[in-house]
Amino acid sequence: MKWTGDLAHFPYPFKDSTYRYSNNSIPMKQPLSIEVTPSYKKEMLLKRKLLSDHPERCYQSLLHSMTGQWEIVELVIDHLVSKYPQDFSVKKENNSWIFTNKILDEKIEFIFGEKNSLPCEPLFFISQHVQEDLIYMRQRDDNLYLDAGQLCFPANWSLAFNIGMKFKSIHHPIPGFKEEGLDQRILQFLMRLEAGTPWERLNWSLMAGDRLDTSLETFDQWGRLRKQVTSENAGELVHIRVEVQKLFRLPRTNSILFSIHTHLLALEQLATNSEWVQQFYEILSELPAHIIEYKGISNYKKAVLEYLEKQLQQVKTL
Amino acid sequence: MSIEPTLFVRITSIEKITKQVKKFTMSSETGKGLPKFSGGTHVSTYLKTRSGLIVRQYSLVSHPDDSTKYEIAVRLSEDSKGGSFYWHQEMKVGDRLQISSPRNHFYLSFKAKHHVFYAAGIGITPFLSMMQDLSAKGQTFELHYASKSEDSCAFHPYIKKHYPIQSHFYFSDQQQRLQITSLENHPIGTHVYFCGPEGFIEQFRIAAGKLGYPESSVHYERFLPTQNKAMKAFKVILQNGSELIVEEKQTLLEVLLANGTYIPYSCRVGRCGTCEIPVAEGKIEHFDDFLSEEQKNEQNCILACVSRGCSDKLVLKI
Ligand code: HEM
Repeated sequence: MKWTGDLAHFPYPFKDSTYRYSNNSIPMKQPLSIEVTPSYKKEMLLKRKLLSDHPERCYQSLLHSMTGQWEIVELVIDHLVSKYPQDFSVKKENNSWIFTNKILDEKIEFIFGEKNSLPCEPLFFISQHVQEDLIYMRQRDDNLYLDAGQLCFPANWSLAFNIGMKFKSIHHPIPGFKEEGLDQRILQFLMRLEAGTPWERLNWSLMAGDRLDTSLETFDQWGRLRKQVTSENAGELVHIRVEVQKLFRLPRTNSILFSIHTHLLALEQLATNSEWVQQFYEILSELPAHIIEYKGISNYKKAVLEYLEKQLQQVKTL
Repeated sequence: MSIEPTLFVRITSIEKITKQVKKFTMSSETGKGLPKFSGGTHVSTYLKTRSGLIVRQYSLVSHPDDSTKYEIAVRLSEDSKGGSFYWHQEMKVGDRLQISSPRNHFYLSFKAKHHVFYAAGIGITPFLSMMQDLSAKGQTFELHYASKSEDSCAFHPYIKKHYPIQSHFYFSDQQQRLQITSLENHPIGTHVYFCGPEGFIEQFRIAAGKLGYPESSVHYERFLPTQNKAMKAFKVILQNGSELIVEEKQTLLEVLLANGTYIPYSCRVGRCGTCEIPVAEGKIEHFDDFLSEEQKNEQNCILACVSRGCSDKLVLKI
C-alpha cells in the first residue's frame, strides 16, 4: 500500500536554512483539531485494523480520564461537522446524540457522558473516525500527564510505555532538551495554553520506507530498511515524515488535547520543488550530530545527501 | 499582550443579590452553546464605554456543565469609576458584549486529600464552581467565608442550602472573626485556597507558610489590573558592540531581524517563549504572557516580540 503522493496536502515544515529544536508553535489560523485528506478511507481501514489487532499498543487510558475523553468527543465531532458538513453530521437531543459518518456509511447513537452507551471508551470511539492520533494530556496540579491516548502512527515511540508519564519524562530521550532548559520552557508554554486559542507546530523526520505505523514495539520490522538506502534508491525509499501537531485547551477538565496528523512524502516527490530540495539539502548538511542520531538518520544521511546533490545538479543543468 | 476576545454574549438577566452585588446572566449570541468549564474558572469581559475599553476578569459562578449560560457576580466598589460602576449603572438586559473563552488559573489540586476554601467578601465567587466540581466527584471540602453581615453576604442562602455541613460563616457585625488559627485544624494532605482582598490573601498566605504548608498546597487568586502599553523608543546594545534603536512602532524582534541578527521566534504575540533573549543590563518592561512573575522580576531576560526596554538602554547577551 502506498501512503504517499499527496503533494497538495503536504505540510512543508521548513522556514530557515538551519534547523534546531525550539518551540516552533504558532497560533492556528483555522482552529480545527482534524483534517480529512484524500487518503481518509485507506487510513481509517489501517487504523481500525491496528486498533483491533494491537489494542494495547494503540490505546491506553487511565480511569480518571473519562470526563476528558467525552470532552474530546465533543470537540472532534463539532470540528468534523463544521468543516465537512457534507461528510459528517450530528443530531443532539439533550444528551442523546446521533453521529453520522457518510464517508464510511456509519451511524452511531449514544448518550453523551454515559460510558455504557458506547461499545468502547469515548476516546477509542472517536479516534476511529479521524486520521489523527489523539493524546489527552491531563493537567494535574502544576504538571501535564499523558492520561489517555490513541496512537496508531507513532514516529518510533510507545504509548504503552509513556502512559501516565509527565511531559518532561516523555521528552527525556531528546538530546539537549533538558540541558538547554527547553523542556521547562515548553511546559510553561503549555500550562498557559488557553481555550479558544489553539496552537499548532510541525515536527519532521526522515524514514526509510513508507509505513505509517512505526511504533517502537515493531522497530525490528521497519528499522532494518535504514541499512538498505543507497543514493540510487533514496528518492523512492526514503520519505520525509511530517507531523502536524495541534494543541487545544479543554476547558471542562482544564487539560490539553494533542492531535497528531502524520504525512509522508517520498524524496523524489519533494524533489519536484527545486527550492525545497535546496533548502532541505542545506538543513541536512548542517544538522548537528545529536539530532541526526536521535532522528535515526545516521545510517543513511550520506546516501540522502548524495541523492539531493544529484537532484540539484540536474536543476542547474536544465 | 492579550489575545482577541472570542465569545459574543448577550445579557439575559440581572439580579440584585445583595445591596452591593449584582448577578448577571449571559447567553451565547451565536446560538451555539458556551464552552463548559472547570471549577475556579474566570472570563475577561470587554466593556466598550465612552471613556474607552475596560477589561475586567470575573469568576464564573454558574454550573460548570451548563453550556446554556454563564453567570458572574459583580460587587460595586465604592471608588469605582470603571468596571463595576459600568456593570451596575449602565448594563441592561439585552446588551451585547464580548468575553474571553473560559480561563482557569485557580484550579483545584488533583492530588489534594481535602480542600479548604477561605473567602472574604466577593472573593467567594471562584469557590462556587469549585464546590460544584468537588461535590460531583464526591470529594471532601470545607468553606470558611467572612462577610460584614448576613445581609451583605453574597450567595449566603444558596451556600447554606447546598453545603450546610461544609460551610462556616463569619459575620463581623456579629463579632465573628475568621482567624488564621483556623489553618491549624486541617489534616495532612489538605490544600488551602484563598480569595478576597489583597490584605486577606497575604495574611493567610504568610500564616500558611509559617505553619509549614508546602508551597504547592497553597493556592490563591488575585485579579490584576491589565496594564496599558506605553510604547516608547529604546536602545539595545549587542555583544559585538553594535547599537540598535527600537522605534516606538517597532518591536525588538523586528529590529534584530532587519539588522541580520537572527534569533529563533515563532508566535510573535508573547506567548510561546521562543524569542527569549538574556539581558545583562537595563530595565525591562515585560508585556508577555509567558514568563512567571518571578522570572519577570529577575530582570534578566526579554521576549523580543512584545517586551521593551524602559531604561536608556538594554545590554543584550547575543
Ligand atoms: C503536550 C503534548 C505533547 C506530547 C504528548 C508529546 C510527545 C512526544 C513524544 C512521545 C516524543 C518522542 C519521544 C521519544 O523519543 O520517546 C516527542 C518528541 C519531541 N517533542 Fe513532543 N510532545 C508534546 C508536545 C510538544 C511540544 C509543544 C513541543 C514544542 C517544541 C514538542 C517538541 C518535541 C520535539 C522537538 C521532539 C523531538 C522530535 C524529533 O526530533 O523528531 N513536543 N514528543
